[in-house]
Amino acid sequence: MPAKEGMSDLTSNGPIREDGALVRSMIADMEQMTWDRIGEHAIRNAQYNLQYKNDGHSLAALRRHPMGKSETAVIVAAGPSVRRQNPAVLLRDHKYTGTVISTDSGIAHCLRNGIIPDLVVSLDPHPTRIVRWFGDPKLRERDLEEDDYYRRQDLDPVFADEVRANSEIIALMREHGKTMPIALCTSTSVAVVERVLEAGMPIYWWNPMLDDPEKPDSHTKKLMEMNGFPALNAGGNVGSAAWMIADAVLGKRRVALTGMDFGYYDGTPYSATQYYREVVDMVGEDRAGTMFSRIYNPHTETWFISDPAYQWYRECFLEMALDAECETYNCTEGGILFGPRVNFCPLTEFLTAHS
Amino acid sequence: MKDVLKGNFTTREKIAVAADSAETLEEKFERTAKARLGGSVAYVSKKRVAWTDDSK
Repeated sequence: MPAKEGMSDLTSNGPIREDGALVRSMIADMEQMTWDRIGEHAIRNAQYNLQYKNDGHSLAALRRHPMGKSETAVIVAAGPSVRRQNPAVLLRDHKYTGTVISTDSGIAHCLRNGIIPDLVVSLDPHPTRIVRWFGDPKLRERDLEEDDYYRRQDLDPVFADEVRANSEIIALMREHGKTMPIALCTSTSVAVVERVLEAGMPIYWWNPMLDDPEKPDSHTKKLMEMNGFPALNAGGNVGSAAWMIADAVLGKRRVALTGMDFGYYDGTPYSATQYYREVVDMVGEDRAGTMFSRIYNPHTETWFISDPAYQWYRECFLEMALDAECETYNCTEGGILFGPRVNFCPLTEFLTAHS
Repeated sequence: MKDVLKGNFTTREKIAVAADSAETLEEKFERTAKARLGGSVAYVSKKRVAWTDDSK
């Protein structure tokens, strides 16, 4: 359990929570930490990817491209709720005709359950990990020994057998890749871009909003001038980016979220969380609890654990939701993403009401 | 350190020693470690999409 630094009941300002000793300061630093993590990579990748500019269109083209048969969209990400809820199965069984937007991490869940996303979104500049969501034909046994990122996390169990999962995704991508457009951030790694091109996915490029593009010497503005693509405020992560595209680019009026938990079910070992290795490197295994919070979800009346990165995503999302034109429905039936302007309901209820 | 490394000759060119960085090695390590915990992409408050002139 996290080290308890006093339990706060911030019902009026935030959720009931128990914070590890370092959580609050880490959340406050997250913006700078993110820039330190991705800033240089993102800009370097965008410069490199300029050569592929004409292999795709601008994200702006999607504004004039009707997608789905209704004003609704469902985002499919890969949080822990996916394995309990199977959103792609529900979409298939309900014969959902709205727009399905999958994060890169959600591709396997969708395709394995017979759902071909109308749009895929990818943005993280990590040089080796992200390509795995697309199936990596260059994956070697040695890579698996060196990086346990996928097999130790509380993800779709299929990823526990990494070699088999990789082969399966490659086969599925071979069959369906050409019919899956992707909103691809210019900050993605060369490995992802080459894989997307190889799979034949139609590309719609966008720039990451790294800073305020209206300010002098803005990195974002320089990227926009360099390649002519719009910049999207992605809220720190690919799920939030997918939601922003549904709202601000595709103009969907009701957007449901699945697999966007921003946390883990209570009792999940810290070692099964996304940033565990990083946490251990920073504070050691014995003090890992200082970097986690327990947060009470009043809708499910259960507790979830979450790290500073996920809590920052939550704060960013709730701020973005205030300015959104769409109605947001959190259909994860769990996690920590609840608050003003976020409706909370099961996916079946959303599908029944809005299909 | 200067007390220990006195040398036994005089250099022809004056060697400029860079002033100590404001960031200590420990701080640099902490910043690097923290960066690994950061998000996948930045967040800019109160912004949605910035369209280019040809995409408006």
